[in-house]
Amino acid sequence: MRRLLPPLAVMALMAIFGFAVYSILGTLKSNKHLSTKPTQSQALVALPGRIVLVQAGNIYSLTNLTFTQIKAPAYDWVQVETGPPGEILAVADFGMYSNVYLLNYQGQVVRQLLSEGSSQYFSNHWAYYPRVSPGGSTLFYSWDWVDPGSAYNVDFQIQAVPFANPSARAVVWSLPGLYYQGGDVEPIPLANGGIIYAKYAVDSAAGPGDGSTYSQLVYASSPSANLVYLTSPGQNCAEPALSPSGTEIAMVCTTNTLQTTTLQVASWNGTSLGTPVVISSGPEPASPTWSPDGKSVLYLNTLLTDKSSPFQLWWVPKATSARPGVPQQVTTGLNFTATSPPVWTP
Amino acid sequence: MIAQITVPGRPGGDLAPGPSQVGRVQSGGMPAGTGPRRRRAGLKSHQSSFSWGRHRALVAALLVVGFGLSGVSGVVAYFLPAISAAFSITGHPTSGPAAGKHPISTPSAAPVTNSSQPFNVLLLGSDNDTKFQANHVLAQTMILVRVNPQAHTVVMFSIPRDLWVPIAGGGTAKIDSAYSDGGAADAVATVENNFGVAINYWVWIGLGGLVQLVNDLHGVNVVAQMPILDDEYPSDLTGANPYLQARIAILPGPQRLGGVAALEYVRSRHGDVLSDIARSQKQQQLLLDIKASAADASLADVPTIAGSLGSSVKTDMSITQVTSLLPLAKAYSDGQVTQVVMVGSPYFSGTTIGGQDVLLPNWSAIHGLVAQYFPG
Repeated sequence: MRRLLPPLAVMALMAIFGFAVYSILGTLKSNKHLSTKPTQSQALVALPGRIVLVQAGNIYSLTNLTFTQIKAPAYDWVQVETGPPGEILAVADFGMYSNVYLLNYQGQVVRQLLSEGSSQYFSNHWAYYPRVSPGGSTLFYSWDWVDPGSAYNVDFQIQAVPFANPSARAVVWSLPGLYYQGGDVEPIPLANGGIIYAKYAVDSAAGPGDGSTYSQLVYASSPSANLVYLTSPGQNCAEPALSPSGTEIAMVCTTNTLQTTTLQVASWNGTSLGTPVVISSGPEPASPTWSPDGKSVLYLNTLLTDKSSPFQLWWVPKATSARPGVPQQVTTGLNFTATSPPVWTP
Repeated sequence: MIAQITVPGRPGGDLAPGPSQVGRVQSGGMPAGTGPRRRRAGLKSHQSSFSWGRHRALVAALLVVGFGLSGVSGVVAYFLPAISAAFSITGHPTSGPAAGKHPISTPSAAPVTNSSQPFNVLLLGSDNDTKFQANHVLAQTMILVRVNPQAHTVVMFSIPRDLWVPIAGGGTAKIDSAYSDGGAADAVATVENNFGVAINYWVWIGLGGLVQLVNDLHGVNVVAQMPILDDEYPSDLTGANPYLQARIAILPGPQRLGGVAALEYVRSRHGDVLSDIARSQKQQQLLLDIKASAADASLADVPTIAGSLGSSVKTDMSITQVTSLLPLAKAYSDGQVTQVVMVGSPYFSGTTIGGQDVLLPNWSAIHGLVAQYFPG
């Protein structure tokens, strides 16, 4: 029996070796695009104030270099937006509809602003991009309008309700230009009572190989006013962000054919945009927001050398329409939701 | 093992010592310089060492072979899903339920033998959900791909699924029914006959495979070119009732999508004025996005990806052909890929035939476009 022990031990070692080879191969899998929770990570750059943004259905706050999770109810949070002092607007996706809430920084629901769920299938709605007017009196948002004559025809429109009484009848600020074209999103309420937003449309003159969908920034001084187009179809711009001074607009513009996306800043005089300056030339900048002092722009982007990587926080210091800065990567290894701009408060 | 310690470096004998012999040598050890006993012991040691040397070589060889086999077993076990999937995916005969009922049942173009020779692939995508019998799914995505290794160019040419054409299996119908009626054979033959393009290979992928592929890649980045709103999206990927509907909303702009959302993005068409045309554009875009994500995958990712694709992908290419073509995928950048989607006039016009919404082709315009991108 003792004679058998050495060969048995060697055979056991061989089996362990084979299993080790199997296991080691498993560890060689590419985890390049696996993300960690922000609370297990630290920012690379300390930015002043507080930044709030969303990853994988949760809301996180970044102060200095440290992330903390805002312990909101266990919903699928998809967007955040600046609210009254000490509060944020947040959108939760419930699969068939989305609701808008007012949260404090501890994650407690101060009040539910919009309730879009229904037991009737076609009475469910989406509410996205909630924005409070500078005076705090009006809540603007994008809402899906369904054609009573064809349930296939669903487009976003911009509407507004009193912030103090959001269950009041909504005022419609925009109607999509044509059916089935995506509609109007990303309203930016202005101090003069008007709004800027992104309008999606289809270029009927598009030929083979061309992307035929585009977006334009438009300005409406009132719900019934004629629209002023701030960018051309060829510029294909969306995701506007107004600087705190109200004199500059950051926006994301995409050339359809090669899917090249740039972050641009243009001056804004209340009726038109100046010549835009590219402040980040790719690969996929998204969702810009201005710093509270208006001297820099925070946005989401992939790694510069890997456009297939998850979205990280990036920052362009001293970015103005006259003098673009050099983008700096703020986070690494995370995977932020890129469909709404981060909230940046002092 | 003990013998090696006891008699290091001595010429060996012919007996393999056991532990008792070792013990005897040890116990019989003499002070240096003693006479005959030393010689006798030395002789014994010489014979024994000879045996030990052979034994050690044998044991070492066995250990090397044993550990080698063990390591290889570990590698084979790790890549087994990939090997299994490779056999499952490749080498499918170009035939279908209707094979043999029409004259063309295999791709007319021969497999590529020269690595620099341009070749054409027909990509087929199907809603392989429970609404359909397993072998009778519609090819709702048809993309003709031309790869020119020498010029380093790729052309992706989408064929509208509602195009009203003569089907290789007989009759006239929407082109997506060719695969349903006659499998890859009819799909290939129908495209070849109508578009005048010789096809070297075909590849078919089901919806579940696409979802799993994107999930295995930890998501893909897309730039959604418009808000996608669809209140009547088919909720047929999972669940008992494939006729259920779902409401979906995909917001515009750059974003990262998981498998299900990526499928919703490329599959939805109700909320888009361009309908199937937009869907073709999004499908081409997603293919490029998947290629970009897949470029970061390592060899160790292959079993996971291949394992999940095993039942959702089929091709007539052999394993050797697939292996030789894979490096090409990494060699192309997006700028070398031309995406062609026919948008309405002059290529086709919409009408209704037999209660079906169809697209009537203008062949002279289409053939002009085909000749531009698929010369020869």
